[in-house]
Amino acid sequence: MTGQNTDSNAAPKLSAHGIAKSFDGREVLHGISFDVLRGEFLSILGPSGCGKSTILRILIGLEHPDAGCVLLDGKDITDAAPSKRHMGIVFQDYALFENMTVLGNVEYALRFDPTRRECRTKIALEALASLGMADYANKPVAGLSGGQMQRVSIARTLALSPEVILFDEPTSGLDADARLALRSQLKKIQRDHGTTMVFITHDQEEAFALADRVMVMGEGSIHQLDEPLRIVENPADGYVRDFVVSNLKAKYDSLARFASPLR
Amino acid sequence: MTRYNTSHGTRVLEIALLLFFLLAVAFPLVGMFSRLADPQVREVFGTPAFATACVNSLVVAALTTVISVLAALLMSWVLCRTAIHGKGVFAVLLTVPMLVPSLAHGMSLVYLLGSNGILTNLLHGSWSIYGYPGIVMGSFLYSFPPAFLMLYDVMRYEDATPYQAADVLGIPKGSQFAHITLPFLRKPLVSAVFATFALVITDYGVPLMVGGKVTTLPVLMYQNAVGLLDFDAGAAIGFVLLVPAVIDFLVDVLARDNASARYVSRGFDNKRRPVRDALGYVAAVLVTLALLLPIATFCMVSFVTKYPLDLTPTLANVGRAFTMGAGSYWVNSLFIALVVSILGTIVAYLVAYITARVGGVSARLLHLASVTTLAVPGIVLGLSFSLAFKDSPIYGTFAILILVNLVHFIASPYLMAYNSLSKVNKNLEAVGQTMGVGRVRIVLDVLVPATADTIAEMFSFFFVNCMVTISAVSFLSTTLDMPLALLVTDLDAQRLVECSAFVAVLILFTNVVEKAVVAFVKRYRHAQQTAI
Repeated sequence: MTGQNTDSNAAPKLSAHGIAKSFDGREVLHGISFDVLRGEFLSILGPSGCGKSTILRILIGLEHPDAGCVLLDGKDITDAAPSKRHMGIVFQDYALFENMTVLGNVEYALRFDPTRRECRTKIALEALASLGMADYANKPVAGLSGGQMQRVSIARTLALSPEVILFDEPTSGLDADARLALRSQLKKIQRDHGTTMVFITHDQEEAFALADRVMVMGEGSIHQLDEPLRIVENPADGYVRDFVVSNLKAKYDSLARFASPLR
Repeated sequence: MTRYNTSHGTRVLEIALLLFFLLAVAFPLVGMFSRLADPQVREVFGTPAFATACVNSLVVAALTTVISVLAALLMSWVLCRTAIHGKGVFAVLLTVPMLVPSLAHGMSLVYLLGSNGILTNLLHGSWSIYGYPGIVMGSFLYSFPPAFLMLYDVMRYEDATPYQAADVLGIPKGSQFAHITLPFLRKPLVSAVFATFALVITDYGVPLMVGGKVTTLPVLMYQNAVGLLDFDAGAAIGFVLLVPAVIDFLVDVLARDNASARYVSRGFDNKRRPVRDALGYVAAVLVTLALLLPIATFCMVSFVTKYPLDLTPTLANVGRAFTMGAGSYWVNSLFIALVVSILGTIVAYLVAYITARVGGVSARLLHLASVTTLAVPGIVLGLSFSLAFKDSPIYGTFAILILVNLVHFIASPYLMAYNSLSKVNKNLEAVGQTMGVGRVRIVLDVLVPATADTIAEMFSFFFVNCMVTISAVSFLSTTLDMPLALLVTDLDAQRLVECSAFVAVLILFTNVVEKAVVAFVKRYRHAQQTAI
């Protein structure tokens, strides 16, 4: 099914229309369409191999769709270069430049921007401070923990002031504490900067905890796009009920067993 | 890896590199082997000399392979599984023979064990090393270090966890060796066996010096092509020499371990065991002596008045060698080695960048072209270049020597760069693209620093091999651009054995200095990084 906006008055910041993509003759996206609202936090939830990373790569321009188009503020950017889309991406594996310091990583791209080259250190330090990493500015990234590396990676993206940030399972490699810390930082950034965020995950709990809306995917199609509570209350089909609602309920039940003696 | 954002610059680079391989590898080899279409050219296969050379080559290659691989396996085990001291020193000393030309190994055996050899006189021996014994001993010196490095590198990174689990389960050591060690080493051993066999059967330096009446295929090819100017016979024998090298190449491709899938979970903690360690010391000292004694001999011979009659120390041979042209040939070698090292490292790195980080059809073709050069012996490449470019402006110039060495040695540095670049985070270019940072900048600012150690090793590999090689360049050099290694045979043929030995020392000295400089640069870089 095609996703629908919950607020018809809100103008979409980012739209995908009829996106289809095949690799080696196998279609991984079947003409999907959805909108992301301005300032919204959209979680794309689905199991491994359902095509969610491919969507992200198409949105930012690292892959070209076989059919369909991508719109930013209503303007077709399907053929625009990734750097011209005013978007940033954060990868699961951080993709940091390991030969540079924390600050070096964050200010690197600013060196090539004539308008911000002079004040690049100030911008980079502000971005690091917003993620609690300013004290690490002169440290090499190689010695950081996974959570710290991911915060540097986010700061590097933030420093370029993108209008939309795409997250490709950024918490997958982190321990439970680091995941929780990163989640709250992402929500804070969204609130403070009003940045539109698209967040990919296969973790139901994470998708529902963070998102304004959740897009549930399976085998290259969108099964439901709605607010978290509405999905729980009204799953669109059996797939959503099994993959999302049942899983969440199972987690809740197991937690409840341990939580009740604590009350 | 995506092709979608491959820039025009990348495509131009791919085409340029493909054209390079077409011109420098396919064109000369196809031209040379097309001569085999003529039945007269193939007549050499029916001659008794060819049959004898085939048998000789097979026998010495088989014998040497057994000895070298067993010794390499033993030394790898000693350095990785015993608690002897000085493992790092032994590991370095065992690879020193790689720093001298194979000609020098043959020559040093004559000084040591020839009819007037130092050991022969000392022990009043009456043996003759010319023929099979000399070729096998010399080939052992030549082929042991690469075999050792292949096995040592694998054993160093073996995971100790299966052995610990086996100990807990009470499995005897013999069973552990049969069911853990051997399966682990099977592929590297197969690779080492075929690589050693191909290395020995295609070498002509050692048999040329100590072969006596025993003629091997490369020597027969050299005699036909250089001595008799019978290029057709040379091409036909060259084709046969390609067979073991191609088999080695195929075995290597099929048997290659997926390095990225292998990692050390837990290293070996070798506890002291007096008997095992004592035996380890004995083995390490004996093998090291066997490898270094010949080198020490030509070092000594180069500084005596008249070997073997007057062993008074002197520096006169240094002056005589330089009077005979050693100085200018040394400069030739340094020039060739430096240019090949710089250009070769750049070309190999660019090819590896395309194959490891860009992907696509061109990348697969480039990978195939690069690793295929592993299967072409230098002697075959040299003759093919001689035939293909003899009417071109580069013939008889440094350019053809640089080109042939670059092609001859590109496969290993390419694979070094390919492995390193494959391990660097795959998303760096994607991040760069989204941030408006181009591929060139990511390569220069991120990938090159991240793989700097590998680049230094690539440079070093080209340099050392250019200094010691004689195979390809012997067909192409003139008196004006002759590299130093070829002077070893020239001076030896003029009975100037002390000067000839000094030339080998000069090559060894140059390579040791180069290795020391590269090690210093790497250490300095690491110290700077740690200081951040």
